[in-house]
Amino acid sequence: MTTPTIELNGLEVQLGGRTILHGITGVLKSRAIGLLGPNGAGKSTLINTLLGFHTPSKGSARVLGLDSLASGKALRSLVGYMPENDAFISKMSGVRFVRYMAEISGLPSEQAMERAHEAFVYVGLGEARYRPVGTYSLGMKQLAKLAQAIAHGPKVLILDEPTNGMDPPARKRLIELIREIREASDICLLLSSHLLRDVEETCDEVLILRNGQIASICNLVEERRANRKFLELETIGAEASFTSALESIGCECAVFTSGRIKVVMPDSVEIREVFKVAADRGVQIRRMNHRRDSLEDIFLNAMEQSGVADGRL
Amino acid sequence: MAVYKRRYNSYTGSLTPQWSRFFVLTRFAFADLFKSRFFVLLLILCIIPCLFSAGFIFVANNKTLQLLMQLRPDMDFFKVESQYFIIIMTMQTQAAFLLNCWVGPVLISGDLTNGALPLFLSRPFSRGDYVLGKLAVLGLLLSAVTWIPCLLLFTLQAGLASDGWIWSHLWMVIPIVFCSAIWILMLSLISLAVSAWVKLRIVATAIIFITFFIPAGLGEMFNAIMGTYWGGLLNFSSLYRQILIRSFRADSIMGAFTRGDDIPLPMAWAMLVLVCVFALFVLNVRLRAREVVRG
Repeated sequence: MTTPTIELNGLEVQLGGRTILHGITGVLKSRAIGLLGPNGAGKSTLINTLLGFHTPSKGSARVLGLDSLASGKALRSLVGYMPENDAFISKMSGVRFVRYMAEISGLPSEQAMERAHEAFVYVGLGEARYRPVGTYSLGMKQLAKLAQAIAHGPKVLILDEPTNGMDPPARKRLIELIREIREASDICLLLSSHLLRDVEETCDEVLILRNGQIASICNLVEERRANRKFLELETIGAEASFTSALESIGCECAVFTSGRIKVVMPDSVEIREVFKVAADRGVQIRRMNHRRDSLEDIFLNAMEQSGVADGRL
Repeated sequence: MAVYKRRYNSYTGSLTPQWSRFFVLTRFAFADLFKSRFFVLLLILCIIPCLFSAGFIFVANNKTLQLLMQLRPDMDFFKVESQYFIIIMTMQTQAAFLLNCWVGPVLISGDLTNGALPLFLSRPFSRGDYVLGKLAVLGLLLSAVTWIPCLLLFTLQAGLASDGWIWSHLWMVIPIVFCSAIWILMLSLISLAVSAWVKLRIVATAIIFITFFIPAGLGEMFNAIMGTYWGGLLNFSSLYRQILIRSFRADSIMGAFTRGDDIPLPMAWAMLVLVCVFALFVLNVRLRAREVVRG
């Protein structure tokens, strides 16, 4: 049995006399976990608690089987953390800053320097590595934060709002990097973001928080698999005979105006059979979509089920 | 993750021992400090009195040279005894104070200004390690201008003097080291505590000066109004001087009156330790990965 990536056992965290996390319990087993929730839901508090910055008032949190409180140092030796807010030493050059952080993580001086250069080139800041970090643009600072988080080769990468303040191309590049890092190694990923697309593109499992409680834990891989057989078609031609032919091979159909048809296919039916039926009936398929519940639907459902759905992000 | 390959690889090499990682902070801080010409100049200026003192010891132990300089060899002036080391230590502690005022204020504020502290503390690195690393910067630097040169002067005198001077004066090693240690510790902790609160160097330096001079003035006012001597507890420099003089088994510096003489020695020690504890308390409050706002 593999160790869950994150285990929360009745985790309650109080800050400044207020309860932020209300005894949350859950097990997240995937390698890439997304953390979603409206502002003030407790995402950053959860991350800070996992890192040992906050002490739970009740319950416990474990990452890769290590308790955030009892085995704090051991846990943090596995972690690479990219904070949400500005976090850098402005007068240091980028590469020296990353080397500094890598050495604090325990890398010997020479290896730290080598990894710092590699990390900077890898995140795409190779040209700017000798400039003071304080002179970087917002997007470059985000990338520098990512470089310091990966330079020491962590086993768990915690990214708090990684695409904050980035323009669309830079955001796309960062998301690609995160996916590459995830796929190139056995690293576990915990990504907190306001942007559902960021989570959708990088994560396998989502923990949705609302008012310090778990609104939903959703396995995106299973959701995607479950919705794979749901088609949306736009057709021109003999609709009635087409739908009855589809129903005869086991599909369920719902017909709408302007030739739009929704089809639920059983597992035994492949898409090519739909094309074949259409060709036999002389039906033109002008558009075909694999309809699946988007993360937005899942998120809004979770918000509705757990109380008032204000959809506020 | 080789540069030319441009792909991510995890690190599988060796790691440094965890106990030694605080020294990374010290090393990087020293590298930054020695980039400043002003700092190097200040450090040299702080050591210059020791060079003159070494010259003095050489003359004091060289009868021929004294005769050439037409000085009477039996003059009290050339005695290298407690008074000599008290004067040197007093000078060097003042030099250490100046050095501390330049170096101390930027040590922590630089990390706090742009929120770098969570980056340190999200690693296998505690707040204690962080303070130790920063403390080591000031500890090593101030040691280089206080007890280390004083011990070298002691060794020089022991080498040049005859008739068993070293054995009759060996006890002086203890006050040289311990008096410097309490002064260095107090200065360093005050500087770090101020640096953790104030971001601007000039303001932080002013606050360090104020910490030493304003309470001393208030203490004097208290003494004058109440007709007591307990106000001297707020004069940290005077308390230190008192500890220094008594540790060297003397009554005064060259016969001069020193304020705070009446305060019992254990109280003087206790007060300096209390200042250190208060500075540690301030650091404990300020050095948090995440600030919690109450309410």
